[in-house]
Amino acid sequence: MAYEPPVTDYDEIVENCTCAFCGCNCDDLDYLVKDGHVVGVRHACRLGASKIMEDMDQRLLVPMIRDENGDLVEVDWEAALDKAAELIAGAVRPIFYGWSETSIETMKHGIRLGELVGAVLDNQATICHGPSLQAVQNVGYPVMTLGEVKNRADMCIYTGSNPMNSHPRHMSRYSTFPRGWFRQRGRFDRTVVTMDPKYSDTAKMSDIWVGFDQNGDYGFYNAIRAVLKGKELQQDVISGIAKEDIVELAEAMKNTQFGALFFGLGLTHTISKQRNIDMAIQMVTDLNKYTKWVLMPMRGHFNVNGFNIFMAYEMGFPYGVDFARGYPRYMNGETNTIDLLTRKECDVFMVIAADPGAHYPGGAVKHLAEIPVIQVDIHWGPSTEIADVVLPGSFIGVEAGGTSYRMDGVPIYMKKAIDKPETCRDDEWIMRELLERVQKIKEKEAVASK
Amino acid sequence: MTYVEKPAVPKVVKLEEPTATERKILEMMLNTGSDIYQGACKKRGSTCKDEYRKVAGIAYMDPKDMAKLGVTNWESVKVTTDWGEVVVYAAHSRDAPHEGTIFIPKGPWANVITSHETYCCCDPTYKGITCTVEKSDEEVLLMADLMRAVYKKYVGDEESIPELKSLGEMPVFKKK
Amino acid sequence: MEYILKNGIVYDPANDIAGEKMDVMFKDGKIVSNVSSDAKVLDVTDKIVMPAGVDPHAHIAGPKLVVGRIYRPEDSRKGVTPKTDVCRSESGFSIPSCPATGYRYSRMGYGTVVEAAVPPLEAKHTHEEIMAIPNIDVPPLPLFGNNWFVMQYAKEDRIDELAAFISSWLKIVKGYGVKLVNPCGSEAWGWGMNVHGIDDPAPYWDVTSKEVIRALSKANEMLGLPHSIHVHANDIGHPGNTPTTIGTIDCVKDITKNSGVRNQTIHMTHLQFHIYNGTSWRDVESGAGDVTDYINKNKHVTFDVGQITLDETTTMTADGPHEYSLHALNGLKWANKDIELETSSGLVPFIYSGKSPVHSLMWAIGLELFLGTEDPWQVCLTTDHPNAGPFIRYPRIISWLMSNERRQEMMDNKEVHPWAHRKSALATMDREYDFNEIATITRAGPAKIYGFKDRGALTPGFNADIAVYDLNPNDIDPSREPTAIEAAFGAAMYTIKDGQILVKDGEIVKVVPSHTIWTNVKGFEEQENAIMEKVMPDFNRFYTVKFENYKVHDHFTPYPIVVDVQASK
Repeated sequence: MAYEPPVTDYDEIVENCTCAFCGCNCDDLDYLVKDGHVVGVRHACRLGASKIMEDMDQRLLVPMIRDENGDLVEVDWEAALDKAAELIAGAVRPIFYGWSETSIETMKHGIRLGELVGAVLDNQATICHGPSLQAVQNVGYPVMTLGEVKNRADMCIYTGSNPMNSHPRHMSRYSTFPRGWFRQRGRFDRTVVTMDPKYSDTAKMSDIWVGFDQNGDYGFYNAIRAVLKGKELQQDVISGIAKEDIVELAEAMKNTQFGALFFGLGLTHTISKQRNIDMAIQMVTDLNKYTKWVLMPMRGHFNVNGFNIFMAYEMGFPYGVDFARGYPRYMNGETNTIDLLTRKECDVFMVIAADPGAHYPGGAVKHLAEIPVIQVDIHWGPSTEIADVVLPGSFIGVEAGGTSYRMDGVPIYMKKAIDKPETCRDDEWIMRELLERVQKIKEKEAVASK
Repeated sequence: MTYVEKPAVPKVVKLEEPTATERKILEMMLNTGSDIYQGACKKRGSTCKDEYRKVAGIAYMDPKDMAKLGVTNWESVKVTTDWGEVVVYAAHSRDAPHEGTIFIPKGPWANVITSHETYCCCDPTYKGITCTVEKSDEEVLLMADLMRAVYKKYVGDEESIPELKSLGEMPVFKKK
Repeated sequence: MEYILKNGIVYDPANDIAGEKMDVMFKDGKIVSNVSSDAKVLDVTDKIVMPAGVDPHAHIAGPKLVVGRIYRPEDSRKGVTPKTDVCRSESGFSIPSCPATGYRYSRMGYGTVVEAAVPPLEAKHTHEEIMAIPNIDVPPLPLFGNNWFVMQYAKEDRIDELAAFISSWLKIVKGYGVKLVNPCGSEAWGWGMNVHGIDDPAPYWDVTSKEVIRALSKANEMLGLPHSIHVHANDIGHPGNTPTTIGTIDCVKDITKNSGVRNQTIHMTHLQFHIYNGTSWRDVESGAGDVTDYINKNKHVTFDVGQITLDETTTMTADGPHEYSLHALNGLKWANKDIELETSSGLVPFIYSGKSPVHSLMWAIGLELFLGTEDPWQVCLTTDHPNAGPFIRYPRIISWLMSNERRQEMMDNKEVHPWAHRKSALATMDREYDFNEIATITRAGPAKIYGFKDRGALTPGFNADIAVYDLNPNDIDPSREPTAIEAAFGAAMYTIKDGQILVKDGEIVKVVPSHTIWTNVKGFEEQENAIMEKVMPDFNRFYTVKFENYKVHDHFTPYPIVVDVQASK
């Protein structure tokens, strides 16, 4: 890789900014700002820096509406908002999906809009850690804040997760490398285990790699639990791992002082889905009979946990909340986006700060190609290719302030560092405008029907 | 250094793998998920660019499997599952050995062939899907072209798709 | 706007008004002694009028609650109601959603509810939820009992620095007072351990619970905070914990009170869970007699009960080790949430049943506490919501307190297990609370304990926070009609908050934003600056957030009520 000289040409440094990428929400970033643009980022990982040093070629700068030829055409805000409001007000089964890359403040208007029109509000959890939340509802949720791991942990396990690729500073800032109160030597005071069929970049830097078989998670955790409960394993090899190794690992886990298990989409996306996580959670619960163990789902977006928290305190359910009947309803596999789309129930789809075009399986995207799609986002992406109304938002944590929740639930107010492009609007403003416009349409309808 | 032309992939020279018998088509297991190159490019917003095709329209394969198919880095392969087929680049995986398994980073290319089946658990099955992999002469499509070819939302005549001009690497819209 | 509540029968214990027929007047949100002839008349002839309720200890907002709501959809589904023209949808029974929490308290005639446990690191979360709760004012209590800085200062007896730390941190997290939960024990849970008794040091810290309690009490009194230290003692829920509890209360007896508004130097919370005699769940017996004997002789202590309501509920506490032991006991799903440098916490669903001997005994012990405490100003009505039961059961508890007949009936009918009378003195206690005592334990007492100078009484100049209940005290015999008592206290005829009518005939008619009440110590700035300089190096090394992102920004409390306190010797 080519050498890049450090950025020295900047007007000011904005310190302690929060990264708007993954669920680590690193809040120690310094932005180097010149002429109102971020020209350099300090302390961020490759992912964070890449997002903050965005590609302006594809920045959504103007509102657009799809014309009869199927071309997106620039329009003014008034026209775009009215068109979106009209679609939403006329919808029978709307879904408002996304929210994980915007602020809690934006969600506050979004939920009001959802309650008003009877929408389904759902977020990226539905395609990421939804099964984790189900497992949590089945068997429990023993978690901690990340500083507990930094200060106390002497064993960290990553299972079905590859933080070196998806949460690059997780190990260096929170779990493996940092020196903590009781772990003054940092990395040397900890054992790092990766459990993954793949010899991932994380596995490469671990002390122990447990390469169980594909779809072998469930059997493997079960075997560990059996050993913890003092049972004799009946098979010599379980999920591709030798019996002796399983026993040795279980003993090592029992003999730590403080262990932390981090799990990722390797568990939620394979065939057993939430049952894998049921087992992993129960394994951690069992381990607490011997010593201290906690776990944490590796949440992917900086506010994906925030939406779950927000919906839970507003309506009592974490995601996939259906207001169609005038009260909140939550049924996994029924009121969630992918299921609604593949059943072709949805008739208007609004996506806020998310990219279903890039991340939904084709079977679900196919229905989006048949219905109007409203997009609120900052970049032109796969979803823009299937969007009918495009509303350019602003970049939380860079151009707009907002509250977010880290993967461990620590709330962070992400401050604003620079001004947004003049033609864009804050997500919060857009949602409030939509709410007010739809309210007006509904009031008119109510008057007319009388 | 946030822009890359394409991901750095290991070049395994030993194409003549003694245990590998040449095969036209391989029965494989497909995994999809995040990858740092894909993540960086996607969130920077460069999804129309060639870079995104190189980081997400790619199947990371075990060198032995590539030897069996007789493909080298950056040649095209067609991956087929019960849910669809897509043409992506082949490249040696930095996580090998994992004979019999391929990894396609999450993105529009992977989506075409992943399973939307949630088994009533809300979450599609993105991992552990059986697939076949074969060598292909076709070009890997850019993101915008792929979305048009697969979902056809604004295409009048589906037959015309192969003839249409590429949408290119920049957003296409009518300015005021 | 002027109002006159006409011909009500007023119970205002703080002003020694016990059931007098009189008018209550208010203007522009405050109680006044007279109004003009333009005043709007609300006819409440022969109805009970009281100050609006003050709940001294409940868990209604914050990270623990949300864990509960996320992991117990089965509870959320229990209380679902459709939206109306005034109210949004409600959900939840033991862990209601934020809007539901506000509406339900409001319907019971409450105006102020203390959120009893705020981990400072996640205080912003608590404040966000307070913003989402309508109609009640909330003073949040930050947790200090297992804070690493506090433990260091306590160990070295650096009371000045501890006081400076507290006054800084109350500003940083916008908190009202000092809460301790299982001091040293929650820290021990960082290693999967607990401490036993007040003289058992936290592992690696070499400081005991007694030292932490005394240090915080001294610091609290040095600052002269409106509330005393608020203590969830060690050994909760363990048979044989009575000596720990009495030891905890007794260890601050010599510390001089520095406050003109309250009487106590220690408030013990959910005392019912802390007074079990015996050595195991087999030979457990009520310790209420021992504890009420002590309390009746000592005025430096107040407490709230944590009355068991015999419902399925969700236990949640910053006492992490206790929740794991509850999980071991009932096998239901265990949630845990440890907060770096500050505390642990946990949750377990719990099904309290009158068929269970132990739960019935716990039910009896709570009632014994109410009935055995002579001075109603020392005892408050709580269920430690949602730990012993949801707050919507307060009216039922009131009906039990006012009716010996009902209590005896429950024991006779086997609505509770015979352990309730075999192992406690409840069957021998025939005391019945009157309306004035009920007003004391649900509003006047808690307000005094918290040092509120704007609520809890109908004094001119106070906030017009008033509850009217559809009962004629001259007609009803609470002893014979517990059902009517429960119904009336569950659905206020009027709930008035800051002079606005929020509830009429048991229904919400208006929704207003909540205020956040927090304590701002003045005159301690120099010491605060000095302590911050000392704290910062460790803060930066051991927390995982930057200090700039730790504090609660002003916009998280859009409607603050700031209680200024002049720090004084």
